[in-house]
Formats: sequence, C-alpha cells, structure tokens
Amino acid sequence: MVKKTLEIYSVELSGTKDIDQTDKGDGKEKYRGLKNCFEPKKNHQKEELKKELDLDDHKLSIKELEKKYGTNIITGLSSTQAAELLAQNGPNALTPPKETPEIIKFLKQMVGGFSILLWIGAILCWIAYGIQYSMNKSSSLDNAYLGCVLALVVILTGIFAYYQEAKSTNIMATFNKMIPQQALVIRDSEKKTIPAEQLVVGDIVEIKGGDRIPADIRLLSVQGCKVDNSSLTGESEPQARSSEFTHDNALETKNIGFYSTTCLEGTATGMVINTGDRTIIGQIASLASGVGNEKTPIAIEIEHFVHIVGGVAISIGILFFIIAVSLKYHVLDSIIFLIGIIVANVPEGLLATVTVTLSLTAKRMAKKNCLVKNLEAVETLGSTSVICSDKTGTLTQNRMTVAHLWFDNQIFIADTSEDHSNQVFDQSSGTWASLSKIITLCNRAEFRPGQESVPIMKRVVVGDASETALLKFSEVILGDVMEIRKRNHKVAEIPFNSTNKFQLSIHKTDDPNDKRFLLVMKGAPERILEKCSTIMVNGQEQPLDKSTAEAFHTAYMELGGLGERVLGFCHLYLPADEFPESYSFDVDTMNFPTSNLCFVGLLSMIDPPRSTVPDAVTKCRSAGIKVIMVTGDHPITAKAIAKSVGIISANSETVEDIAKRLHIAVEQVNKRDAKAVVVTGTELKDMSPEQLDELLTNYSEIVFARTSPQQKLIIVEGCQRQNAVVAVTGDGVNDSPALKKADIGIAMGIAGSDAAKNAADMVLLDDNFASIVTGVEEGRLIFDNLKKTIAYTLTKNIAELCPFLIYIIVGLPLPIGTITILFIDLGTDIIPSIALAYEKAESDIMNRKPRHKKKDRLVNQQLAIYSYLHIGLMQAVGAFVVYFTVYAQEGFKPSILADLRVEWENGNVNDLEDSYGQQWTWYQRKYLEWTGYTAFFVGIMVQQIADVLIRKTRRNSIFQQGLFRNKVIWLGIASQIIIALILSYGLGSVTALNFTMLRPQYWFVAVPYAILIWVYDEVRKLFIRLYPGSWWDKNMYY
Amino acid sequence: MRRQLRSRRAPASPYGYRYRLDDQDEANQNYLADEEEEAEEEARVMVVPDLEEEEEEEGQEEEEEEIEEEKEEEEGQGPPTGNAWWQKLQTVSEYLWDPEKRMSLARTGQSWSLILVIYFFFYASLAAVITLCMYTLFLTISPYMPTFTERVKPPGVMIRPFAHSLNFNFNVSEPDTWQHYVISLNGFLQGYNDSLQEEMNVDCPPGQYFIQDGDEDEDKKACQFKRSFLKNCSGLEDPTFGYSTGQPCILLKMNRIVGFRPELGDPVKVSCKVQRGDENDIRSINYYPESASFDLRYYPYYGKLTHVNYTSPLVAMHFTDVVKNQAVPVQCQLKGKGIINDVINDRFVGRVIFTLNIET
Repeated sequence: MVKKTLEIYSVELSGTKDIDQTDKGDGKEKYRGLKNCFEPKKNHQKEELKKELDLDDHKLSIKELEKKYGTNIITGLSSTQAAELLAQNGPNALTPPKETPEIIKFLKQMVGGFSILLWIGAILCWIAYGIQYSMNKSSSLDNAYLGCVLALVVILTGIFAYYQEAKSTNIMATFNKMIPQQALVIRDSEKKTIPAEQLVVGDIVEIKGGDRIPADIRLLSVQGCKVDNSSLTGESEPQARSSEFTHDNALETKNIGFYSTTCLEGTATGMVINTGDRTIIGQIASLASGVGNEKTPIAIEIEHFVHIVGGVAISIGILFFIIAVSLKYHVLDSIIFLIGIIVANVPEGLLATVTVTLSLTAKRMAKKNCLVKNLEAVETLGSTSVICSDKTGTLTQNRMTVAHLWFDNQIFIADTSEDHSNQVFDQSSGTWASLSKIITLCNRAEFRPGQESVPIMKRVVVGDASETALLKFSEVILGDVMEIRKRNHKVAEIPFNSTNKFQLSIHKTDDPNDKRFLLVMKGAPERILEKCSTIMVNGQEQPLDKSTAEAFHTAYMELGGLGERVLGFCHLYLPADEFPESYSFDVDTMNFPTSNLCFVGLLSMIDPPRSTVPDAVTKCRSAGIKVIMVTGDHPITAKAIAKSVGIISANSETVEDIAKRLHIAVEQVNKRDAKAVVVTGTELKDMSPEQLDELLTNYSEIVFARTSPQQKLIIVEGCQRQNAVVAVTGDGVNDSPALKKADIGIAMGIAGSDAAKNAADMVLLDDNFASIVTGVEEGRLIFDNLKKTIAYTLTKNIAELCPFLIYIIVGLPLPIGTITILFIDLGTDIIPSIALAYEKAESDIMNRKPRHKKKDRLVNQQLAIYSYLHIGLMQAVGAFVVYFTVYAQEGFKPSILADLRVEWENGNVNDLEDSYGQQWTWYQRKYLEWTGYTAFFVGIMVQQIADVLIRKTRRNSIFQQGLFRNKVIWLGIASQIIIALILSYGLGSVTALNFTMLRPQYWFVAVPYAILIWVYDEVRKLFIRLYPGSWWDKNMYY
Repeated sequence: MRRQLRSRRAPASPYGYRYRLDDQDEANQNYLADEEEEAEEEARVMVVPDLEEEEEEEGQEEEEEEIEEEKEEEEGQGPPTGNAWWQKLQTVSEYLWDPEKRMSLARTGQSWSLILVIYFFFYASLAAVITLCMYTLFLTISPYMPTFTERVKPPGVMIRPFAHSLNFNFNVSEPDTWQHYVISLNGFLQGYNDSLQEEMNVDCPPGQYFIQDGDEDEDKKACQFKRSFLKNCSGLEDPTFGYSTGQPCILLKMNRIVGFRPELGDPVKVSCKVQRGDENDIRSINYYPESASFDLRYYPYYGKLTHVNYTSPLVAMHFTDVVKNQAVPVQCQLKGKGIINDVINDRFVGRVIFTLNIET
C-alpha cells in the first residue's frame, strides 16, 4: 500500500501576533454557488456557511444521480474515469491551511513589542562603536558590548516568547485523525480496496459498522445502518440511515452519509458526491481556518501599553538628543545618551513577565478544569460580557433524569442533583409501590456487569436515555433492580416502537401466593390513558372518571410545560383463571388484554441542570455578564432549563408570557415590557442583522432554541457588533467557525469534537458552565494583577531615566549604567512582578461589570502618571541620595560633581581633584563611578521592595489585604535582595558588569525613602477610600 | 424541597411544535431567583455609586478622554485616508485646546490650576525631603577629612608637562615643536617659585613626617618645595628645561591623598626605565632632588580646606642621554613600602608610561 505521509491538518491558532488576519469576507458579494458545487473560495466561505448548506443530491433519484456523475451503481466508475476525475478534482483529502512558517513566527517575536526599540538601540551602539573605532583604534569596547547585550536581550526574550507561544499553541493534527485510510470501492465492476484519498465523485463505496465514511456519500442501499454525526451536528444519538429522501435539509435527511463521521452498525452502499475540501466537513474546516482571528483584548491592551511606553521613550530620547546636541555635546555622545534613555524607558522584562503571569493563571485555571490553549485567552475570559452557552452537557448534566412524578393526583419532585441522594417524596402510598414495580420491570436497560463499586449514577448502562434514567432512579430508591427483575420473571415483552408508542412486558410476580401474571406497560401518556379504565389512587383502584382524567391532563400539561419528557405507566394483574401459569403468551398475536388497564401514574424526565449552574449564572449576572443560551433543543425544554438555571430570571416574562397573562394576542403586547425572549432558529433565519442587533440590545435574557450550529456564528457576530466580548461554548465540528469567531471559544472537553477543541481558545475539561465562571473570575483577577505588575514595572523606569537626563543637563558622573539598568529590568524586578500575579482580589471582582473594551484600559492615564510622576520620582530622589552619599563619602561632594562630566570621563586626566584636594586617576574614578552605579542600583532595588508592597493593593490598605497572605511576594523580595547581593559581592570583581562591592551601610540609605513611598501610598489609598468619587479618587486611582 | 406546581391552561400537547410557555407564578419562584436578586442588588450597591458620582463630576472630562481613546484607536487601525488624517488633526487640536469647553489637554483651567497646585506642593515637599536628607548627609561628613580614602589609594602618578597626550614628540631644532612643553612647565612651576614658597610655607626638617596635631579645623602649615630643588630642571638655569638640547626634563608628581603617609618612614622613590625594547635606549637619567624620592616632610596631607598652601613634592627626571629619532617607551614607577605599581587596569597607579621621541 502506498501510504503518503499525510500532511498535518490543523486549524491555525491565534498567537499573539495573529493580527493581520482580519476577515475580508464581509462586504463582498454573496456567493451563490452552483448547486452541488462548492468552490472553496476563501472570501466567500463565510457566507456559504451562514446560509444553510446547499446540497441537493439527496433529492435526486438514483437514475438522476447516475446520469449526473456519469457512473453506474452496479459497475462503478472505470479506472480511467476515476483517474481523470482524480486529476481534475484532486485527492480526497483536506488541504492543510497555509501555515505561517515557524521562522516567520519567530521573527515576528523578534520585532514585536519593545524589541524594535531595543534593536534600534543595539544598532546605534554598534554605529557609535564603529565611529569611535574609526577615529581611535584603541577605543573601548563598551559600546560594542552594550549593543551585543541589547541584541541578546531581544533575542532571549524573543525566544522565550516564541517558546511560550509554541507551547500554548497546541497544534493538533486532528483532522488528520478523521481521515479514513481505506475505502472499499466498486470500480470496473470489481470491489477494490483503495486509499480513501483516491476516491472521486461518482465512486460507489461500501461501508460497514465501525468504518469512517470516506467522503460525502449519497446512500443507495442500506441495511440497518446507524451513523454517529456528533462531530458534525452535535447530536450525540446515533442516527439511522436509509436510502430514502426524508428531509429537505441535507444535514437532516437520512440518505446522506458525511465525510469523517462514523458508521456505528449495519452496512450501506453509497455514491460519492463530494470529496476532499468540497465535503461538508471540508468546508467547515476551511471556514474555521478562514474566520479571522480577532486580536485578543489583552493583546490590544499590551499594544496600547507598548505604544505609550514606546512613545514616551522615543519622544524623551529625541528631545534629549536635541538638547544634548544644542548643549554642544558630541553627536556620538548624544547617540549614546539616546540609547541610555531608550534602555531606561523600556521595561525589557515586562512582556516576558506578562507571559509568565498569564501562563501561571492558565495553570491555575487548568486545575479548575479550564484548559487554556491560547495564553491571552486567560484575560479575555475576564473581560467577557456575553456568554453564549450550549445547553446540553454544559448547563445540564447531559443525562435524562426523573424529575417529577404524578400519582395519587399529586405532583412530586424527584431529586435531580448529580447524585440523586435526596429523594424526599412520599413513598408510603400503595400507588408508589405499584408504580415502582412498573418502573423496575417494564425496562430493558441493564447495568453493565462488574460495576458494583461504582456509584449508581456513574454506572454504565446498556439502553436508551429514558430507560437509563428510569433504571437508575429505581436502583437508587429500591435497591438491586436486577434482583427484583429476577424475582419477577419476565415471560413476554413487546419493546417500544414508534407506531405502538408503548412498551409492555408480562411477569410472574414475586409473591408466591399470587399466581397471577402482572402486565406492566409504559409509554406516551395519552396512549396509555386510552388503554386504561381504572386509575389507582392511594393504592386503591378507582374507575377512571372525567374528573380524574381532567386531573391527569392537567398534570400532563404541567409537566410537559416544564419541558420534560413525560411517560405514563399502567399495569394489570391478569386473572389467574384465564391466564394460568402455563399460559403461553404470544407477542405477535397479542393473546392478552391491552385495554382496560389500571393507570398508575406519570413520570417525567428531563436533562436536569447541573447543580452548580444556577449559582454560576447568578454570579455571571452580578458580574454583569449576559448569558445567552443557544441550543438545538425544543423551545419549551430550552425555556424550562433557562428558567431553572436563572438565564431567564424568575420574574421576567417573554412576550408570549405577557400575552397569556393579559389574555391578549402576542402582537398586542408592548415588546418593551418583556425582558426575556425565546427565539427559534427559524425566526432567526428570517431576521436581518439589524433586527438581530435590536433583539440583542432590547432583551437582557435571551434563549435561542432549535438553532443549527451554523446560526451560532450569526449570533456571535451579532453580539460582537454590540461591542461585546463574546465567549462561546461548543462541541461539534460545526461549532468551530463560531468558536473561532468568538473572542473566546470554549470547547467541551468531554463531549467536544477535536475540531471544536482545535478551534477553541479554551477547553472545559468537565463541560461544566460553572467552570467558565471560575475562569471569568481568574481572568478578571489577572487583569487587575497585570495592572499592578505594570505599575510596579513602570515605576522604576523614571528612576532609571532621571540619571540620564541629569547627566546630560547637569553633567554629573553617570549615576547608573545601561547594563546596570538591564540587571534591574531583567534581574531583580522579574520575580516580584510575577509574584504580583498571585495577589488575591481586593474586593469581590464578580460584583463588577465587565470592563469596557475601550474605556477601562490596562494602562490608563492615572496609572502612568502615578507610577511615573509620583512613586517613580520619589524613587529617583531616593536613589540619587544613595548616589550622592557614596560620592560625598569618597570625597566628591555634590557641589563639585556638577559639570564635572568632561574631565571625569577624560582618560588622560589622572589627577582630578575632589572636594578634599585629593587627586584621582581615571581608573579610580571609573571604579567610583561603578560604585555609584551599584549604589543607585541598590537604591532602586530597596525602593522597589516598597513598590511591590504598595502595589499589592490599589484601593485597600495593605493591612486589609494582609501583608503575608501572598507568600510569593516575599519570595520575590528575597530574590531581589539575593540577586542584588550576588551582583554586588559575588560579581563585584567582574569589571564588564560594572558592579562593585558596596559598603554595607549604603544598602540602608534608601530605606527611609522606601518607607516614605509606603506611607505616601497608604495615604493615597486612605483618601481614595474616604472620598470615593472625589477629585483625588478620579486622579489617583489607577 | 418541594416545589408546588399549579395547574393552568396549557396547549393541547406539550410536544406541539408551537411552543407556548406558562408564566411562572410568584409562588413558584424558586430559591435561585431570590438569591439572584439579592446578588444583583449587592452588585448595584457595589458598583453604581462610584459610577454615578464620577459621571456627575467628571462628565466632561470623560468625554474628552473618550476622544483621546478614539484617537488612539484610530492610530491602531488600517490605512488612514486623507480625510481621516484631517479628522485626526482636528481631534488632536481639539484635545490641545477646546474652545467650546475652554479646556486644554482635557482639563479646564480650574482643573489645571488644581493639578498644578497639588503637584507644586508634592514636588516642593519632595524637594524639602531631599534637601533635608542632603543636609543630614553633610552633617555626617567632615569637611576636612574624607570619610573613606580606600578608593583613591594607592596613589596615582602624573607627569608634567602634560598636553593631552603622553607622547613627547619634538624636534630639537624646531622650537615650535617643544615650546608648548616649556610654557606648560613654566606655568606649572610658578607655584614653586622660591620667593613664593619662602613667603607662604615653612621650612620643615627633612626626613620626617610633618605632623601637625591640633583641631581639625585649624589651618595647617605647608612645607616648602622650592623650584630650585629641581636644579637643572628648574628652568632657572636652562629656561628651555633641556628641550632645546634634546635632554628633556619631565616632572613627576604623586597624587595627593588626604592622610597618606609612606609606610615605615621610607620615602617613596622614583625610578624610570625603558618599558619595552632595548634598555640601553636610555643611557642616563638625572633625578632632582638627587634622592629621586618624595621627602617624608611633605606628608601627611591635611586636605584642601586647611592645608591651603600645600605644594605637592616633585621629582624631576632629566633624560640626558636618550636614543634619538625613535620612540622610546618609558615607564616611571614609584618604589616603596605599600606602593602598588602593577595594577593592570590602571596604568597610572604607582607608575606612569610615556614615550619620548626626540628628533634632531
């Protein structure tokens, strides 16, 4: 077998730089393809999918099909025909999307963010060195070194970012897995096994249970074939297939088998009607990769921040370049000042810090069952303002459960929580005894053996959903069901079918004195009632009169109105004389009565909401997040679940509700009165975008029912037009475009198809809506904490910048070197800034509205001003005091330092006098200068300790927050001190690093300033708390 | 938990395709709804006051901020057309000065003055703090004696004449090439004129430290170092310091360090030799004073403030016979106890290296 290495197909995931992929599909003419001919033109794909899939081969007869594809269902295509078609249409495989080459991704990291500024700095360094070298061959290598260091910094942070992105961009070869390897095809009247890739349109293929369908096929003959379409449509139940045309919609008709879905049982023969990218799944796949990836909110924020800092750096740099030149500095020197200013201004370590912070949160979220694939999505979740959630499995437990019972003219509630532990309804009535017997006996579902130790609700059951529900329900209440069934031996049985709409079985009773057979029956309530003449009330049979029938109907409607699936139960003890023990029951001739039975009760089942969901929805609400339910389910069920989880709150009404309450026609109701609305897919189909916008703005509680997965995309886009940050959950392949389009796509970990997981930014490991809410909480926290981190990081930039400015203007010996700055930015400051990510929330962040994308910036004016002009300046002052102290104690008082720069730096002046008349050689001065660097460095470091402490909170006092609750902060502070100690005492002798051993006392000079910073910030916070909304609050709260 | 379900009119079939849902009675509100409402109310309490007040007071400012944001947004977006540029320019100019609201940079005059006042006070107090700190710093620092002198020890060495370079290139027959050395030396030695020294300084006994006990702030006397000590290199007999004959004088001085005393009472000596190459390139050097050393009486130095007239002692090297017409690298080192003259990084500690290239 020739087996080509299959190219990895993957949906390209957004990285940080996935900017240019804005979608261009909009505004172009709508594509109306020829029927049955999908041309994968990128620009039109979106339109294609938004309208329902356009395929009509299912409507054609076999003859027409044969004609259309030039084939014959008996002999198949000829090999030559097939070869021609293969050459014409290409192989039956999905073309992988154009992937950005890794090297491009890597280079993008190298020039993104601050990197470009640092590259400029490095290049300027080398130019400066080149000029120096050309003028004086023995010039010092300092500038060349600095250039290399800068380049190294850029490359290292680039590699780090690239690595992080590559790690999180989990490129899965998912679609590849779905491609069937082999296909059984009829060609030249022979059955042949060929690689599925070589299939062409018109081929006749045979499939059997367990196969993956090799292409889109029109089924020609079918023997008991069922397929699993869940990866395509999200329906988890096996779908029967037949050769008849049953539905206009290609997705719903039974005579089409879809590429990559699985045939579960039976066999079928079909004609290939679409191959490769033209298959339904191929279109969805290419669409998913075609849907533009919006920039994540945090990417926008960081870009905004980079713009601000970059702008400040460049403008100050250029301003001081001009000043330096006009102060008659050498141009070369001015360039070096410019480099210093750029380096001082750019927080080199910040982007790496942000990445680490995000991945820490991602890890934390993974523990809470939110697996984040795209790091930036961590924060996106926090700014989410709309969640479009699936119902089944996400909001609900995804299993039918008995919710209500009706017997003795009363409705009882069954416990629908995850473990069923608390069944409190009245079980003393005789009716319940009978009912429970029917439930137990009239049931074909069985537990898989060997699960005794497994909790009942988690056991695997063979049987359909309703029977499973009943089995588990009775097992919980009655105990060993299998044992009961054994005692009541089954003698005959009619399984459920859609014409009868009931299921019946006849048993011997377990009462040895009672020789009667028990006939038990369950089914559609109205059918069951028809067959009954009596009804059991309180264990006593009573004739079924009008009033009891009325009561039955009321209860039936009541339960039906809750969106529940209702079943009726009845029984009959067959008289022993007519049906002796030896009586042979024949289910075909029905030699036993099936009317005049005794009606026992109703049982209704629903896929109940997960118990954590209502709380989660409440939390979402208080957090200002709108939860929209999008489901393929029936509107009644959808609304019932929406109500029970709080998506439609208890006191809000839909237009229909109001109409009913006021007894008026729906059209007469003022639409403004309704808060909630249930929209069906069909209604949605007819809506214009404007109408949808109106719907989305006017109603706060929205349920979309009976929607196709494609319509999700429309809903998502509608929400995004309202400037909302939209989170979407999804599991099917069909959801993947919506998942990609959404600001954050959330795939289901258990139920989700690989394609959905691939397209999503996040995977919910437990499929639980509540996990999203924890995710939101983490996302909001990380936004707050990133603010703190950035404020912390920005502060010292002023302390690093001021030395250069003063150096240029006043002519002091340089207080801090460029390399020393890099040691702060990439050394001492890194761990404390990451530690801020561990900070707990100051107040209940889930009581806040989601941040406004355009107003609540990560870096706002207040943050920049407070960091730069308040704390930053205080730090600069403190660090200068350390610097002056060192110089003064060594002999250079501040008065003499002014304007000393030229002589100080002149290597030929080796007897420069200090304030005491002592004379210094050039190298002695240089060493003193490095001591100054170290002192300034230590000064900044000490004050950064205070800075990291004050950044713990933005509003509360540190003491309210707890000084020791975040232990990582202290780890950060310890690391700061240790790194500084190592730099000064360990590496103090390495001249290239410009550190010296600093006298111990200088480490404490800046401490009063650190305390001052702390006190100042406490005062700031105090006033903010005391006078909310005041001028102070507005200007000082960041 | 028992939920009371009440009957009501309902459609004929609950599974009908037309859905119609019953409104829930108030009695039917479940616990969830109540909780939710409470939570909502809490949220309102938490959030609303801030927002409202802010809006009331800052309405205008916010609007302006929005404009600013929009401006930034625009910057981030696609290729701006000419019209967009114009609009952008307008928003910027409006941001700078908005005549309608009489605002500049999104603040009204009142707001600006408040800001300025607050920042004035903030920075004034910051300035006060730094002044206070510097003041206390000076209180702890003696004006007479530096706190630490390790960095400036061991002493560096410098030579005269010094004209931006340590390469002495001159042509004996062309006075222009060496005249500036002579001028430099002359100028340097003005302070050593015998008359001046005799007038200002005392003649203290040689061979011992000139220790002056007493209060720190007392003026200290300085020992005489007369120009005439330098004999042939004093410029008194040969005003060209030997340059005109190709026998240049170079003066060497040791950097001043407060409190520095040569150890063990041995004066520091100077010795010069060829640094690299043939040692015989320099056949003879005369040192003045003949001891080629710095006499102990010039130590210790008490600092600029009290030791006003201190004149650094000198040693003159008279290169009387040096190979001509080639560059001769010369290294002059200090020799003595506690003197370091081989620091790799610092070529001026305890030694000085220069080249002589005398052309004839």
